[in-house]
Amino acid sequence: MDIKSLSLLNFRNYSHLDIKFSNKLNIFIGNNAQGKTTLLESIYLLAISKSHKTSKDKDLIKFNESYSKVCTVLKKSDLELKLEIIISNQGKKVSINNVEKKKISEYIGTFNVVMFAPEDLDIVKRDPINRRKFLDIEIGQTSSIYIHNLNQYNKILKQRNEYLKSTQINKTIDFPYLDILTEQLAIYAEKILNKRIEFIKKLNVYANKIHEHISNYHEKLYLEYISSFSRDLSKLNLNQIIEVYKKNYNTDLLKGSTQMGIHRDDFRLFVNDIDVSIFGSQGQQRTTALAIKLSLIDFIKDETNFYPIVLLDDVLSELDDLRQSQLLDCIQEKVQTFVTTTNISGIKKEIIDKSDIFFIENGNIINKKEGGNFDKQ
Amino acid sequence: MNYPESVSKLIESLSKLPGVGPKTAERLALHIATKMKEEDALNFAKSLLNVKRELMKCPICGNLTDKNPCSVCRDNTRDRSIIAVVEEVRDLIAMEKMKEYRGMYHVLNGAISPINGIGPQDINLPTLLERLKNEEVKEIIMATNTTIEGESTAMYIAKLLEKTGIKVTRIARGLPVGGGLEYADEVTLLKAIEGRREFK
Repeated sequence: MDIKSLSLLNFRNYSHLDIKFSNKLNIFIGNNAQGKTTLLESIYLLAISKSHKTSKDKDLIKFNESYSKVCTVLKKSDLELKLEIIISNQGKKVSINNVEKKKISEYIGTFNVVMFAPEDLDIVKRDPINRRKFLDIEIGQTSSIYIHNLNQYNKILKQRNEYLKSTQINKTIDFPYLDILTEQLAIYAEKILNKRIEFIKKLNVYANKIHEHISNYHEKLYLEYISSFSRDLSKLNLNQIIEVYKKNYNTDLLKGSTQMGIHRDDFRLFVNDIDVSIFGSQGQQRTTALAIKLSLIDFIKDETNFYPIVLLDDVLSELDDLRQSQLLDCIQEKVQTFVTTTNISGIKKEIIDKSDIFFIENGNIINKKEGGNFDKQ
Repeated sequence: MNYPESVSKLIESLSKLPGVGPKTAERLALHIATKMKEEDALNFAKSLLNVKRELMKCPICGNLTDKNPCSVCRDNTRDRSIIAVVEEVRDLIAMEKMKEYRGMYHVLNGAISPINGIGPQDINLPTLLERLKNEEVKEIIMATNTTIEGESTAMYIAKLLEKTGIKVTRIARGLPVGGGLEYADEVTLLKAIEGRREFK
């Protein structure tokens, strides 16, 4: 899977840009605030249909313009695919080979990305919501059914919470109706839960292998899914989930919202049996974040048969030699990679030599050097 | 300068219609004021009044009608042992276009949706339960939409009817007729697989 070209129109600080790519390794170099990350953001948007930076699509439209368009041509095996996203005041339109897709779930997954960004550390260090977002985006990338189930779950959750709230005002409770909302919620909760547990299981295998390697075989990484229903995951079938919900009707009614469910779940990360989110050193946390992100490359390859596109936003030069080598091992020659950096001095010469380098200034490409003939200055 | 009062009042009335924004309302009002023949305007006004004055909801099934009861409920050739429960009058009309279904209907006039302020007590359900007491009904077809709200409404009614012994069925979901598998999205295909039937 390779991106052959990328074109932007009124996207953030870019008025108009067309780039062609012919190499596996591509580096965008430039000073701060010139538009390097924006290029990665546009690729991410084309894959996930959302930006990794903002939840407001309108922020992506260039100042004073009415719409924004991003477009890419991909080569997937022997197939050429043209993907396009238009964002305007009316919303977002996505299309594949000029055919508009009405459902986002029909669009997502056409190609996959793994983005490495400084915020990855949030997955390890910060609140559960960061980890749930990670689960939902990465599983959603490879399963449109998962996205559908998640959307359905959130719709029922909204209805259920609204109903719980309304019982506080009306002072009457229609238990048959509450049962129905609960059953519906449980049906989707169970599907999402199983998919997440399966994902964590697969990630464990890949991530531990990578983590062991980066830590010189001193550390073992283990991920554990934490369900708000029960500590014992093996006992969670549909009937049991419904039971748990029913036992908690009183709390839900009292609080006026649904206290349990996959919207309250989390996963913990253990290094040598110690919870790395709380007790890990800065270095261990970084290694963990890198390991789980790298493991996605294998996960996506296994699920979809295609390697993802790898996006490295300002992280490559932050990594030491060992971690850069590890990254390079995972990427090898097979994964098309886009890197942003302010200077190349922190990046291994081996990587530089193989890369096409694009110099970015103020929303333009001012120069390009093809891989193999770059003199390090 | 503003529009004369009669025109602005018309704009205001038109913009209360669903799908009509201020710009469309303005365009429609100006069309009526300048281009429409008086005779047409009169007919338009008359039919507006007629639908409000002469139409009512059928007290039996909730269908829109000018006679009490509605034409479906009056029709003696129809099968009274089977009732299709639909959300809106337009769903009833859609079912009737098929010309194959000869049972009765019940129109809920909505689906339960707390976020839109519609609770179980706000849909046309009591009349259905009343009907079941008096009429000899063998089967209820839940023909609400396949949205989350339509689904919970169907499940809710099914639950209420559990003890009555009346057979409750749900319309099938899945592939459109005449459609190739390759054009169906994953979710539709999944529903089709889940709802598969054995050859008998």
